Amino acid sequence: MITLENLSKSFGSNHVLRDVSLHVPKGQSLVVIGGSGSGKSVLIKCILGLVTPDAGRVIIDRQDVTQTDRASLLHRFGMLFQAGALFDSLPVWQNVGFRLLRGPDSRKEVREIAIEKLRRVGLEADVADKIPAELSGGMQKRVGLARAIAADPEIIFFDEPTTGLDPIMAGVINDLVREITAEMGATTITITHDMSSVRAIADQVAMIHDGIVQWTGPIGTLDRSNDAYVAQFIAGRPEGPIATIR
Amino acid sequence: MMRFLVWIGAAVLGALAALGRLIVFTGSTLRHLVTPPFYAREFGNALFQIGFLSLPVVGLTALFTGGALALQIYSGGARFSAEAVVPQIVAIGMVRELGPVLVGLMIAARVTSSIAAEIATMKVTEQLDALVTLSTHPMKYLTVPRVLAATLVMPFLVGVGDIVGVMGGFIMGVERLGFNGATYLQNTVDFLEWRDIVSSLTKGAAFGFIAALMGCYYGMGSGRGAMGVGAATKQAVVAAAVLILAANLFLTEAFFSS
Repeated sequence: MITLENLSKSFGSNHVLRDVSLHVPKGQSLVVIGGSGSGKSVLIKCILGLVTPDAGRVIIDRQDVTQTDRASLLHRFGMLFQAGALFDSLPVWQNVGFRLLRGPDSRKEVREIAIEKLRRVGLEADVADKIPAELSGGMQKRVGLARAIAADPEIIFFDEPTTGLDPIMAGVINDLVREITAEMGATTITITHDMSSVRAIADQVAMIHDGIVQWTGPIGTLDRSNDAYVAQFIAGRPEGPIATIR
Repeated sequence: MMRFLVWIGAAVLGALAALGRLIVFTGSTLRHLVTPPFYAREFGNALFQIGFLSLPVVGLTALFTGGALALQIYSGGARFSAEAVVPQIVAIGMVRELGPVLVGLMIAARVTSSIAAEIATMKVTEQLDALVTLSTHPMKYLTVPRVLAATLVMPFLVGVGDIVGVMGGFIMGVERLGFNGATYLQNTVDFLEWRDIVSSLTKGAAFGFIAALMGCYYGMGSGRGAMGVGAATKQAVVAAAVLILAANLFLTEAFFSS
């Protein structure tokens, strides 16, 4: 469903992505792992069109979207941002129903849909009228998740879904991501360096280091990988090919 | 010598690049201004924030300035026995010059800074990216409603500033300087021309456009982190203030050069 072919992106002399090629079949969950600054977020932004790649192609359903108007495809995407990226000035239900409010549904209908989505991520209806600043970090993540799934997208991106959360809340978010994407049949790409997320969410794993895909394979083979980079990353060891000062 | 020339060249290129970016941003704003979708709710909110909530600061600024202007003209005019022209000079000074310029600068301080800080914070917290992923163009959703609202509401604010400023002079003239109230008002009305009022309101619209545009431009171009937001806010206010004063000169030339 999503294919990246030789994707490259540089910012000045900093080569963030170098000939990255990946494929995510429909309904599958790819988790991209890698250290901070390895190019994971830029990868997603290239797919979304938030960053224009210098070279390479992004193909979605056999259509090269690097050559087309990305805006027409965005209604098929949902995105959970690392820090939530909730709109401060809007109440929670308007954040969740933001895209739907620009559609044919009435505000009353959108509010009902938003409350239903909030319930799906484990939040009560009374959260709907709060503003994002009144919520805890975990609740903001849930609202971000509700917003990502509000319009029932076919493709969902998760950027560090558990960053900044305690282990219990991280586990809750991981389970929600897994359950919801499975019941929606969505194709997902998740960026994380949290190994508990990797094990909970992934069908496939790709490790990016220094802008290149260092290793890729099914989740079941991750622990048996002979790749020194993957082994160091999984174990969280300072010793190994991945420099600790980047 | 060579190093100096390199520095000059880099500065000129940098300034031209910045000017080019600003022109492109302005063109993009104008293009989005006339193409759907339009966000009426955002526009209404911007009208309220920029227009209604600015009334106190505009009124107080104009009131104190009008009063001080009356005092200055009276004491200065006394040197050549021209104390009687206080109503006329206050009227022409407030309506032609001080009203639009002071309201413009107060809006730059209050509105430009607020817009720049808000949009810059949205940028560093990825809210602008979130807008894009939700099929909403940030220029249409953030820039157009604010620029349009500021352009439309500023003539009204300037009108209020002009009236309150004249009233400040009136209060000072009558209560402190011994002018007859009816005569003061009659002199004010008789002396003002339609051209004075039209120029004042036109300046207001131009200054509103500049103030909101600068807030949006520097907010959207903000750097990372708290320093980026701070720098964007500062640059937006400075740019808006300088451009308002420059535009004032050109508009004054256009209206009153003959």
